[in-house]
Amino acid sequence: MSTSLPTLGYGLGLRSEYYQQILEQSPAVDWFEVISENYLVQGGKALYYLDAIAERYPLVMHGVSLSIGGPHALDIDYLKQIKQLAERVQPAWVSDHLCWSRGSAHQLHDLLPLPYTEESLYHVAGRVRQVQDVLQRPLVLENVSSYVRSKADEFTEWEFLNALTHLSGCQLLLDVNNVYVSSRNHGFDAWAFIRNLPPESIRQLHLAGHMDYGDYVIDTHDHPVCDPVWALYQQTLELLGPVSTLLERDDHFPPFEELLTELGKARELGATALGRRALCA
Amino acid sequence: MRLTDWQLAFEQHLLSETVNSSFSATLLGGPTLDVDTGLGIYHNAYRARLQDVLRDDFSAVWYWLGDDEFALLSTAYIRRCPSRHYSLRWFGERFPGFILEHLIAEQSAPLAELARLEWAFTLAFDAPQGEPLMLQDMAQLPPEAWPGLQVQLVPSVQQMLCHFNSVAVWRSSKNEANFPGSEALTEAQVCLIWRHRNVCQYRTLEPAEAWALVGMVTTGWSFSELCAELAVTYQEGAPLQAVTWLKQWVQDGLLQRRES
Repeated sequence: MSTSLPTLGYGLGLRSEYYQQILEQSPAVDWFEVISENYLVQGGKALYYLDAIAERYPLVMHGVSLSIGGPHALDIDYLKQIKQLAERVQPAWVSDHLCWSRGSAHQLHDLLPLPYTEESLYHVAGRVRQVQDVLQRPLVLENVSSYVRSKADEFTEWEFLNALTHLSGCQLLLDVNNVYVSSRNHGFDAWAFIRNLPPESIRQLHLAGHMDYGDYVIDTHDHPVCDPVWALYQQTLELLGPVSTLLERDDHFPPFEELLTELGKARELGATALGRRALCA
Repeated sequence: MRLTDWQLAFEQHLLSETVNSSFSATLLGGPTLDVDTGLGIYHNAYRARLQDVLRDDFSAVWYWLGDDEFALLSTAYIRRCPSRHYSLRWFGERFPGFILEHLIAEQSAPLAELARLEWAFTLAFDAPQGEPLMLQDMAQLPPEAWPGLQVQLVPSVQQMLCHFNSVAVWRSSKNEANFPGSEALTEAQVCLIWRHRNVCQYRTLEPAEAWALVGMVTTGWSFSELCAELAVTYQEGAPLQAVTWLKQWVQDGLLQRRES
C-alpha cells in the first residue's frame, strides 16, 4: 500500500451545526473531516452541503461503523457505499476505528475495545486487507478510548498497533486525547504509547476534549482540549514532524468562532513544537 | 476465552439489565477505575445513545409523553428492537409499530400515528432529490403536450391518512405551545410530507384535492383525464380547477414528469 498521502494542515470535524457559516464565511480551515455515515443517504441537505464544501476544501472521510474487529462478516454493502461516497468527495484518505461496534446480531453503536491478543491481531489484519481490497486504498485506523481491558491481553495497545500496521499495511489515526483518556483509565504512560508507534504509519492526529471525573476520564468530545493533551500533542509533533491535525467537537457545540480560536491554538502550539524540532535537528 | 465468545459476552452485557459476573472476571480495570464502573460506562453509553436518537426523531412523542413516560417507552423499545442497521438514522424505523403493540389501544393509536408522522419527516429529509417540475417547465410546455401530460410524486413525498389531530399535536410541539390534547378527526385527512429546496414541508389536503392528486400520481391520469374526472363535479369550471391544483402542486415541489 502506498504511504504517499499529503499533509493537510489543521482541520475541523464537519458538523451540520456549522454548514451555513462555512459556506458563507469560507473560514481559514485547511480541511474538514466528515463522518462518513452521515452522508450515506440518497439526498437532502447533508449531501447538498457536503458537495458544496467538497468544492472548497480538502476532505477526509471518517467512519464509525466498520466494526473492523467484530465477530460478524464484514458488511460488503456498507463498504461499497463508502467506496461510492469516496468517489463522490475524493477524500485525501478514509479512516475508521480499531474496535468493534456490531455484535452477533445487533448493532451496538459504540467503539468497543478488543483484547490485544494474537487471535485478535490476525482476525483484524485479515479484515483490514479485505477492506483495502474493496476500497482500493489504505485504511487508516484510529486508537479508541477504553474503560475496561481484557485480562487475556498479550500485547500493549501500541505493540498491537505496530504489529497490525506491519501485517496489514494499514495506517494510523493517532487520537492524542484517546491515548490520554485510556492512559488515565488504565494507568499506563501516554508518552510511552505514542513514542513506540511506527512514525511512518501515522497519517493523522485527532484532538478533542473529555470529561474528567477524577477517578476516571470519559471521551465525550464536548469540551475544549485540556492542557495535558495539548502538551502531549506538542511532544508528538516534536517527535513526528508535521502531521495533519483535526480538532473534533461532537456535543455542546460552541459558536463557530470559538472552535476557530481553538484551532488557532493548535496551529500556534504546533508551530512552536515544530520549531523546537527544527532546532534540535 | 475465544475472541468471539468474549465479544458475545460483551454484547450480552450491553443488552442485559444485570451485570454478568463471569464476564466481569475476564476484565481488568485501572488504578482508580474498577471493572464494574468501566462496564457501567459502556452500558450507560449504549442506552443513552439510542435514547438520544429516539428523542431527536420523535420529539413530538416525547413532548406528548414527558420525560419519564418517554424514557420507559424508549427503554422498552431498545430492549425489544435492538438496532439492526449500521446507521443510527434507521434505529427508529420500528418505533411506530412498537407503540401500537406495546401500549393499550386508546393511547397507542393516536401516539403511533404521531410517531408515523414524525418518521415520515425523517424519510422526506434524506430521500432522493428526483427532478421536481418548476412553474417555468410548465410555462414552456407546448399547448399540444398539455392533454397528455402525466406526473408522479417526487421521491421525498410521504402520504399519510390521519385519523387523529396528529398534525396539530406535532405543530404544537414544534412551537413549544400547550399540548392541544389528542382528538379523533370526524373525517380522516390526507397529509403530505415532503422536502422542497432542502427544507421539509407538510400540508393537509381536502378530500377533493387528495382524490385529484391520487388520480394523477397513482392511477396515472393524464391532464385531460383529470379535467374529464373533475367535470363531473365542476362542469365547465373543471379545467380551471385542474390548472389551479396542478399549479399549487408544482409550486409546492411535489411533482415530476412521468415518462410513459
